[in-house]
Amino acid sequence: MKRAAPALALVALALSPLLGMEPRVYLTLTVAGLAMGMLIFLVASGLTLIFGLMDVLNFAHGALFSWGAYAGFSAVVLLNGWTGWAESPSVLLNALSLLAALAAAVLVALALGVVLERVIIKPVYGQHMFQILITLGATIVLEELIRIVWGPNDQVMPVPMSVQGSWDVADVIVLRVPVIAIGLGLAVYAGMLALLHRTRVGLIVRAGVESGEMVQVMGHNIHRYFTAVFALGSALAAVGGLMWAVFRQSVSPAMGGEQLIFAFIVVIIGGLGSVTGSLVGALMVGLSYNYVAFLFPKTALGVNMALMVLVLLVRPTGLFGAAR
Amino acid sequence: MRAGPSTGPGAFRARPRPRWSDPTVWLRLAALAVIAAMPLVVPSFQATDLAIKIAIFGTLVASYDVVIGYTGIVSFGHAMYFGFGAYAVALCLGRFGAPTYGNLLLGFVIGAAVSALVAGLIGAFSLRVKAIFFAMITLAFAEFAGILAVQWSALTGGEDGLSPKLPGVFAVAYDGGRLLGVPVTGKLVTYYAVLVLCTALFLLMARFVVSPLGRALQAIRDNELRAEALGVPTFVLQIVSSTFASMVAATAGGAYLIWVRYVNPESALGVPVMLDVLLMVIIGGIGTLWGGLIGAAVLLTARLVLPDLRGLAVLLGGSEVAQRLTARWLLIFGILFIVVVFFFPRGVLGTAREALRRRPGRVPGDRS
Repeated sequence: MKRAAPALALVALALSPLLGMEPRVYLTLTVAGLAMGMLIFLVASGLTLIFGLMDVLNFAHGALFSWGAYAGFSAVVLLNGWTGWAESPSVLLNALSLLAALAAAVLVALALGVVLERVIIKPVYGQHMFQILITLGATIVLEELIRIVWGPNDQVMPVPMSVQGSWDVADVIVLRVPVIAIGLGLAVYAGMLALLHRTRVGLIVRAGVESGEMVQVMGHNIHRYFTAVFALGSALAAVGGLMWAVFRQSVSPAMGGEQLIFAFIVVIIGGLGSVTGSLVGALMVGLSYNYVAFLFPKTALGVNMALMVLVLLVRPTGLFGAAR
Repeated sequence: MRAGPSTGPGAFRARPRPRWSDPTVWLRLAALAVIAAMPLVVPSFQATDLAIKIAIFGTLVASYDVVIGYTGIVSFGHAMYFGFGAYAVALCLGRFGAPTYGNLLLGFVIGAAVSALVAGLIGAFSLRVKAIFFAMITLAFAEFAGILAVQWSALTGGEDGLSPKLPGVFAVAYDGGRLLGVPVTGKLVTYYAVLVLCTALFLLMARFVVSPLGRALQAIRDNELRAEALGVPTFVLQIVSSTFASMVAATAGGAYLIWVRYVNPESALGVPVMLDVLLMVIIGGIGTLWGGLIGAAVLLTARLVLPDLRGLAVLLGGSEVAQRLTARWLLIFGILFIVVVFFFPRGVLGTAREALRRRPGRVPGDRS
């Protein structure tokens, strides 16, 4: 019963607006909310690894998000310049150009993640205050580098033709990008669960978080694993950034900062280190944001904060957080 | 053990008051004198504006230091109280009343009262959760206050903010003739009023942190469990500390308003202000109180000077890359910031004190 409580809360939350609106509007809002939740989950999942598992307060996560978006943006633009893949009507070529963008985003973020972890995170493990400060500094530098490389203004992200538009399912308009986001989010969720709980690497990382010394005594180079986890978290941020750019069809240097607070809220609502918690938290945030934005437009931005405060007051460790 | 200056039970006993032979007292007086002399010696507006803003933000940062450095509570909502103070004064003078001295005073009182109430409530509700969660909750409240200030434009003027008129001697049009050859303008009177206010707040905080209450707070910071076991009511004292600091921050916010004569969400209430305060407290040194002045001086001066580096682009050959590099002075700032955090993690004052502490003999000015 106790384990099911957060899921029940999510279902109750998802059903509650039915009291006050038409079913059709409700369905549209729910799909939009789920998609937004999944997009947030993509960002938050990386943070779950870095903040939840390794206990590193990485404020540079938002900057990595922007870097991923810009790397993917460049890949699509360059490819389109050479081959016209993004503009061609072929679904296959469109998908290829998005995959190339994904690969570019992930590679750039992996490289950045390794550098960040080795150079500035490693000396400050276990010191929250300094993690905040140093990653804030890194955020400033990374964002400014974006402005130097790509220019300071917003740019339009060329989105492949077959990804744009919508399907019409039984009078409910279903945009394509959100569906892709939901699919990608579920895939990332399944992949992370499998990695953490079904593989040897996941076992070592989880053990390393519990007791780093013990794992080292057993002959595993825990630093290397932590670098890898950090890079993986960065890559997830980049994937989130790319999806966000496709969703919004634009990129801007400050886009990551806006998402960072969302992601932190989600990780805290879900409970530190729990992937399932992040997913539930992200869906809660996405759904409640969309419902409230429809019913009471002016209060929409405050609702996430209210949700977080409420959850923490009821359960100080978050929905799925273990009492530590 | 006996020789250790700040460890062991001896640290709990209040130290003797600073004597006049203590060099740091003179340093503080010198800083005050420099700021006080600024409008008389350097008549440029930029210089006086910088000097008084250093005083105001130094006070704000010191009040944050009371919370983070002396009590060990990490709050991201402290700048919110600064905004409350500024908005309270602006509303009392502009929207809800005529610019009179009574309303000015009322604004300060209301700002401090509202801040105390909010800080007390937030503390009572959420100080029991884990430290990092408390930080996020306060961030959430700060964010919410910022949104409220933007959305509730009927009251706050939204993004445009408020620009109230000030009463009597503070008004722009006030002309007090000449005093010792210096033209007494409304701006000058305001300058000294703000300076007196900030000095008073600073003295108040300096007294607060060495009081028995302040000592108990430091005990909580160093080891909360131990403090609790010794019978210190940790929860209540943490609330008292954050409430006190919020009132100081609100008063500093009021001072900011009467100097700038303008307040909007971005300049006084939002998360960016909080980031500035965080940077300042680190640059100056956590747990030093007076480091706030140094932090404010460094950051505000950098803000003023670094954008002017654009001229360097011409020297670097005027290429586009060089121009972009120098136009983005924040990049240089960010790198400087990382370097400072790496090599002077205790800030300017903290590092200086550590160096002094390593020297044998007396430890001047160590009151942390």
